[in-house]
Amino acid sequence: MEMASSSGWSSALVGGADTIVARSSPAGRGGLALIRVSGRETRALAEAVIPELDMNRGWRASLVELRSTDGERIDRAVALPYPAPRSYTGEDMLEVMVHGSPWIIRATIEAFVAAGARRAGPGEFTRRAVANGKLDLVQAEAINELTSAETACQARVARAQVEGLLSREFAELRGTLVDLLAEIEGALDFSHQDIPFDVDSAENRRQKGLTQVGALLATASKGRRIRDGVRVVIVGPPNSGKSTLFNLLVGQERAIVSPHPGTTRDVVEADLEVAGVRLILKDTAGLGATSDPVEREGVRRARGAAADADAVLLLWPADGARDTVPAAAENQPTLMVRSKWDLAGADEIPNGWTVVSCKTGEGVGELRNALSRMVEAEVADVGGEIAIAERHRRALEVAAAELEGADFSLPEVGAEAVRGALEAVRELTGEVGTEDLLDRIFSSFCVGK
Amino acid sequence: MGEAFDLVVVGAGHAGCEAAGAAARMGARVAVVTLHNHTIAQMPCNPAMGGIGKGHLLAEIDALGGLQGWAADRAGIQFKTLNASRGPAVWGPRAQCDKARYSEIMRRVLFGLSRLTIIEGEVIGLLSDDGAVVGVRLADGRRFRARSTILTTGTFLGGVLHSGDERRPGGRFGERPSIGLGAELAGLGLVLRRFKTGTPPRLKRSSLDFDRLGVQHGDREPRPFSWRSRSVRNRISCWVTRTPERVQTIIEENIHRSPLFSGAIEGVGPRYCPSIEDKVVRFPHHREHTVFLEPEGLATESVYVNGLSTSLPHDVQEAVVHAVPGLEVAEFLRHGYAVEYDMVAPGQVGMDLGCRDVPGLALAGQVLGTSGYEEAAALGFLAGVNAVLAGRGEDLFCPAREDSYVGVLVDDLVTRDHVEPYRMFTSRAEHRLLLGVDSARERLMGEGVRLGLVRPVAFHVEQTRWNARNQAKSTLEGVCLNPDRATRAAVVQACGIEFKTPATWAQLLRRQDVDLDRAGRNIPELSSLTDEDRRIVVGSLRYEGYLDRHRREIERVRRLRGVKLPGDLDPGAIPGLSREVVEQLERHRPATLADAERLPGMTPAATAILAGRLARSGADS
Repeated sequence: MEMASSSGWSSALVGGADTIVARSSPAGRGGLALIRVSGRETRALAEAVIPELDMNRGWRASLVELRSTDGERIDRAVALPYPAPRSYTGEDMLEVMVHGSPWIIRATIEAFVAAGARRAGPGEFTRRAVANGKLDLVQAEAINELTSAETACQARVARAQVEGLLSREFAELRGTLVDLLAEIEGALDFSHQDIPFDVDSAENRRQKGLTQVGALLATASKGRRIRDGVRVVIVGPPNSGKSTLFNLLVGQERAIVSPHPGTTRDVVEADLEVAGVRLILKDTAGLGATSDPVEREGVRRARGAAADADAVLLLWPADGARDTVPAAAENQPTLMVRSKWDLAGADEIPNGWTVVSCKTGEGVGELRNALSRMVEAEVADVGGEIAIAERHRRALEVAAAELEGADFSLPEVGAEAVRGALEAVRELTGEVGTEDLLDRIFSSFCVGK
Repeated sequence: MGEAFDLVVVGAGHAGCEAAGAAARMGARVAVVTLHNHTIAQMPCNPAMGGIGKGHLLAEIDALGGLQGWAADRAGIQFKTLNASRGPAVWGPRAQCDKARYSEIMRRVLFGLSRLTIIEGEVIGLLSDDGAVVGVRLADGRRFRARSTILTTGTFLGGVLHSGDERRPGGRFGERPSIGLGAELAGLGLVLRRFKTGTPPRLKRSSLDFDRLGVQHGDREPRPFSWRSRSVRNRISCWVTRTPERVQTIIEENIHRSPLFSGAIEGVGPRYCPSIEDKVVRFPHHREHTVFLEPEGLATESVYVNGLSTSLPHDVQEAVVHAVPGLEVAEFLRHGYAVEYDMVAPGQVGMDLGCRDVPGLALAGQVLGTSGYEEAAALGFLAGVNAVLAGRGEDLFCPAREDSYVGVLVDDLVTRDHVEPYRMFTSRAEHRLLLGVDSARERLMGEGVRLGLVRPVAFHVEQTRWNARNQAKSTLEGVCLNPDRATRAAVVQACGIEFKTPATWAQLLRRQDVDLDRAGRNIPELSSLTDEDRRIVVGSLRYEGYLDRHRREIERVRRLRGVKLPGDLDPGAIPGLSREVVEQLERHRPATLADAERLPGMTPAATAILAGRLARSGADS
């Protein structure tokens, strides 16, 4: 079966002919490790490795003795059987919690393999869950996101998607398109039975579909910001204290700080979590005229980073000679900060500015709050816990384009467009799909999921 | 032992006539066994041939050299193209026929074929030899041997007629059913299923109140179905009325007396051709239902009441009909009834309509679970042609679904499970835009010539026509117009629209504000064509864009179709296929990878595994 194995784990999708085993807890040393077995032969395998286990006592943990096929004791462990179909994969499943020793883990897996199991490929458990209808493709995608979620917001969105929130939205959109298509087809095939084609009604349905697609697409940038992080760039003139502020916010001496203007040449990045959202903070070279070619490149990169950013933190030294501030960014929300406030010698805070002194710590709390508010605004509550991912965006854009182009003046032509939109949505939910797509989705999974 | 034939066709309905006609004209010695000579090519239900989907089949049968379209042209008394305001892909040519004349014309054709023998009698059994069917046995003791036998028994296998609480055995009004044959088929291991269909009452024309009925005329310029026909003409009008709300009450009060709802009928009827009692129960929010009144011929008083199919008791039928405006004093010539019958589950035949497990036996028409004269004729034609080709040892004729509605019909029947009588719709064809009646001859007439059923000279006449259309289309797509003052004025003059950026005629003609009538007169590429060809060219211009998408998909499917699955393939021995997929492959035994791909439960992954397996075994050998 070269064909199947070269294209990932195709055979698993067509129903899981064999029984698989893998460690589901992360690699490395830990107190305990979880080993999963799934497939038709799970009962037989359990009998070989854990003779005392009663697979019929489902969903209850028991303390058992694990033995290798030649009878050697491996560990005393907790075993938890899940008879089909009430299991994660929908097949007979067994979870064994062993002590976290690398040898015990290896020996346990080898015992199952010796009894007839195959080592699972990446994402194979989830793939079987999809094949057996326990999860749809959209839910399965989110399993990976849920297990790798690092911020509260990522976990919240991924959990909602695993629970089917996004799947339901897609199903509703699909319903609208099917209704629309049925209306057109009915009018075409039954026009002799006095069923007229109601263009207005079709038009209404199309608008409804477009509204649904539009609402989902509106969550795309939010989805990207939650998944990949909100990009905030610090810009300002040379020596305005950007790197000092950067290090203060990150909580580490990441960027080199010196009293000389033009110290920072390249863009320096760091991750932090603000208001439950991942934030990618970038420190840049000071914006100013310079003859040094390296520094000039730094300025170019700084402008590029600012143009790509979701938000900009504009720093202007309070002792700055000029009062006119250049616009650093055109479209992005910008937080304007007067740095080195301790040198200002003024009490009155200029309108629209946040003031900060990294030296005295004055205003840093304020600044954090302002940053927090700005980030929250960036992942505004468009669509609640719904936030589509890149793959969804591409498919929905195809659907939107098809619907936009649907011409109902010739219903058979309009039907083609609606079919195109429907096809895009069905591919989205995995109803139809190419093997490439499935392999792409599951290749990002690690073994044991 | 009686005479020996190449082919015995059992039944002389629309499937039987096409099967026997095609085979005899291809040179085979054919016997047709019919219960009565006078019931050959009867139209036992509606008086119309063609329509949407069905008209597509009719056009294809005609292009291949079949008889139905030609006969309908001669028996037609009102011609109308349905969906005429849409593009050419969904035009549905339809003719109301004089039923008696249709039957007479077809009878004359069959009797005129020298290699064809018509035998009056009842087939009660099959002759078999070592598991193969080698002929038929008649009730009067006669036996006819043949290399192939085609069963086209319609609704006669185990037929039961229902009208209210009355039920009696029958294949059709006034005719006995066939009892023994069904048991014999079951004995051969074929799976039979129970289906149901129905027909409305017939009323006396002179008893209708025409002042209260709307009139429905045929087309102003009626078009024939067949390339063999020069012209046709309208001789009658039809009428239209609507059921009032009171009908709903009458039916609701008597619904317990309907065999459909009392449980007397177990067979499954077609959803899309529901009886009036079905409509009232299933669509209670529809207060009115349209009723068309269609004369069944020039010389007969009989009028078919399209829309009031029913098997309610006679007194209820009368109350319903008399409640309808225009029918208050209508006289019944015959009451509506339902018929329940055995059909052979079509998954048991191959794309050539031969039974997979019973050599020598093929099936066609309603006995395979279809509904309609055109579906029956298409299947009969294929079965007849393939019986001859198989006898000669030549390649069988199995049109693919991407090439024709005939292909869609057979493919759907053979590879899908069916719970109700199968009727053709344009929405069943995924490549609908490429399969219009306008392109039927271009697609299939060449096949008709190869089969020996179309004269080459007729092919060349038609070829000139489609070449002219294609030429006009490519000129319109190729010539670019510049928006200079003179050209713009000329375009406004020609078709009434302004344009500002360079465009081809094709792009301008696709616009919705274009005046097509004017364009047809003023643009030379169009004005040189006939009116019909002009509409075909302009209509298909608007399909551009979507057509490319279909051509790409067809390319892909054709590649898969090129990968044959060996007859001795053992799906169970291929690792990685799920049990469900293995079962599907074993049950349907697809001939090519394209057929396999369409089986239910077949995932892209399973197709890939199968493809890999075939590629490997190909390399081994």
